[in-house]
Amino acid sequence: MFVKDLTKDFYQVVAGKQCLILVNFDVDGICASKILQSLFKNDNVVYTLVPVQGVKDMKSAYDDNAEDIEYVVLVNCGGNVDLIEILQPEETVTFFILDSHRPYDLKNVYNEKQIKLLGDPTLEEAIPEYDVVFNDDSSDEEDEEEFSDNEEESAQNRRLRQHEARINKKIKRREWEEKREEALFHYEQLSYYAKSSAVIAYEMSWQMSRDNLDMVWWAIIGSTEQAILNKVESSTSVLESGNLQSHVSRLTHARGGNIDKQQLSAIKVTYDKDLRLALYRHWTVEDSLKHSLPTAVALRLWSIKGEHRMRELLAEMGLPLCQSKQKFTSMDLTLRNEFKDMIEKLSDKYKIRSIVSGDFTMQYGYRFKYCATDIVYAMLAILESTGRDRPPQLCFLEASDCLSRMKKEILEKGIEKAKIMLGYVFKAAQSLLELKQVTNAGNFLYVVISEGMLHHHLFAHPHMLLMLAQFILRAYAESTRSRKTATLPLVASATFSEEEGTCLIVGVPPVLEEQPRSFFGKAFSQAAENTNSFIDQDYFDVTMARLKSEDRPKFFDALSALLQ
Amino acid sequence: MFCRDAVKLVAELNQTEDIKPFNEAVFRQVLEEVQSLFEENSKDVNTITEDNTAPKNTLLVRHYAMNRNKRCLLTYLFHRMRRLRQARWELGSIIPPEISKNLIKPEAQWFHNYNKSLATYMRTIGEDGLNILNDIQPPKSLYIEVRCIQDYGRLEFDGQSVMLKKNTYHLLPRSECESLIRQGYLEHVSS
Repeated sequence: MFVKDLTKDFYQVVAGKQCLILVNFDVDGICASKILQSLFKNDNVVYTLVPVQGVKDMKSAYDDNAEDIEYVVLVNCGGNVDLIEILQPEETVTFFILDSHRPYDLKNVYNEKQIKLLGDPTLEEAIPEYDVVFNDDSSDEEDEEEFSDNEEESAQNRRLRQHEARINKKIKRREWEEKREEALFHYEQLSYYAKSSAVIAYEMSWQMSRDNLDMVWWAIIGSTEQAILNKVESSTSVLESGNLQSHVSRLTHARGGNIDKQQLSAIKVTYDKDLRLALYRHWTVEDSLKHSLPTAVALRLWSIKGEHRMRELLAEMGLPLCQSKQKFTSMDLTLRNEFKDMIEKLSDKYKIRSIVSGDFTMQYGYRFKYCATDIVYAMLAILESTGRDRPPQLCFLEASDCLSRMKKEILEKGIEKAKIMLGYVFKAAQSLLELKQVTNAGNFLYVVISEGMLHHHLFAHPHMLLMLAQFILRAYAESTRSRKTATLPLVASATFSEEEGTCLIVGVPPVLEEQPRSFFGKAFSQAAENTNSFIDQDYFDVTMARLKSEDRPKFFDALSALLQ
Repeated sequence: MFCRDAVKLVAELNQTEDIKPFNEAVFRQVLEEVQSLFEENSKDVNTITEDNTAPKNTLLVRHYAMNRNKRCLLTYLFHRMRRLRQARWELGSIIPPEISKNLIKPEAQWFHNYNKSLATYMRTIGEDGLNILNDIQPPKSLYIEVRCIQDYGRLEFDGQSVMLKKNTYHLLPRSECESLIRQGYLEHVSS
């Protein structure tokens, strides 16, 4: 059941009670939970927050903490699985789902009592009607029997009529089932992302007039993550940033006075055109050009020729090589000021598409100046930096610390990590492309990150693999020049755990596809079913799954047959 | 020169905020100085006659020096005591060895008595006593964010209960989790 008025039907219900918050491991989820946390903190709502990585994690976290708890808030998780079936909750428990994964499981949509989906149903796309999917009337057969008893007819006649009725019913039922299948297929076929949960949470706080600049900043980061990881269409994210920008200017205005005149030490969020170069303010120009998707793909930087092309670009920009190898902050001031224009001017010549886009920047005091993308990269890097002495939960906490203005060191560390992460992604993509590891299976591409590769274990993290897959797909489509490759999706796979012999697979929709919607979720489970291979779709993003490594070849075969 | 040692003691207080070892040597010297001044004064006081008033001025100077010495000594003792009292409020009834080894016996005795009186006083407030040492400064909020770093189990408070498992985050009443933080089950997450 959808809840449209979040303030009344969600927040005021939960306020004053104890609640359990389960948050998925992604940046948007962290931002949304941070907004909720600060609201709850102000209202003294006792909460327990548990980060969860997958469906199994969610189940165990729920079982551990559910005692005496009436309200459970799920952030970026649980919307697309049948919650009641999985969690087996008591009847008194109410779930509030704030999830950007789509499509919602229909059982969640039509559960009136226990499950409340936070969001506006009118914004949702074509959810099948209740009657189409669920059949309530199982009792009418008896009714008919009774009804016919009352009539006085010859026995034969009656039997005939009953028979006819039964056949009619069967036909009707079959028709209904067919229709149901079709509707379900249409509904569940594509998985995609809807509006960022952080933005929804922010808008709720805005309706309660309890928003502040920090909250809007968190919402900005949530929606920036969706844009960076290509979770939503670019037009949607542009519209969203326009919306957020109006909130920013309203809040800045509300604090009074001209923005320029306000003290430098105050928090300041600004929206400006910016280059889509990863972390370039904290890196060197050369590295940033090399590791950002738009430039790396357009200049084909993974080849030696590409390297020359980048030199050429730098030369044409008039940026000395020694300056380009320098930290951006240490570059000459004139070069630094002109950098944006220089790149913008030359982007057409080098066919670097969409290098300029709007981005938010947060400034706090003199030294704290970061753009939203910087923070997203830093958070992603921290989230994925799990290791033996770094349990995922610690990474979760550190990532959420990045959002706090007071913990600059953690953010700085995250940015350093992000540089290393982007470096690994680039190197892996480079070696995979050079060794021609991308295989064309006819109607999709696939790439397997072998265990022999350097740092292959890093790609056992879903976001890392996703970034690598997107990089490779763009790069491959660019380098082959054939129109067809641009219409092909890509499946990337890397070893998840050597001991258990499992691997992680992730599917990326084609480059040409306007809307980043993916049919891989359904296709994966179907292919696994066809080949009887063991698949573990534990992630809330259904385009990621775990598979037994030995099943991988036959799984790819089945996938190829399925996509025909 | 009179009073040089006594001023040394006071200067020593100014150097640090800690409780330094009791400077017994200098303390004794000052006492001896006072003693000798007194003896000389009592000797000279008899020599004053109608026509010989010269020693009178000497007597006055000595007397002032004596007083000054006394004031300095008292200052020294008083400030040490004040610091000790502050340590009691900040660190609790058991003082760490690095402080206790610097105390002299009467000071230790005083500390003991102070503890006793404080405890007696606290027991008289309310029905079953109140620990006035908690929340010396008013807390900013009644609830704080904590992270669980060790499995604890179920924590019950005000009719609510929370399961404290490792690596979960909670917003809990400050009063409930203060002791758990001290025991190392929880960690305060400052934002």
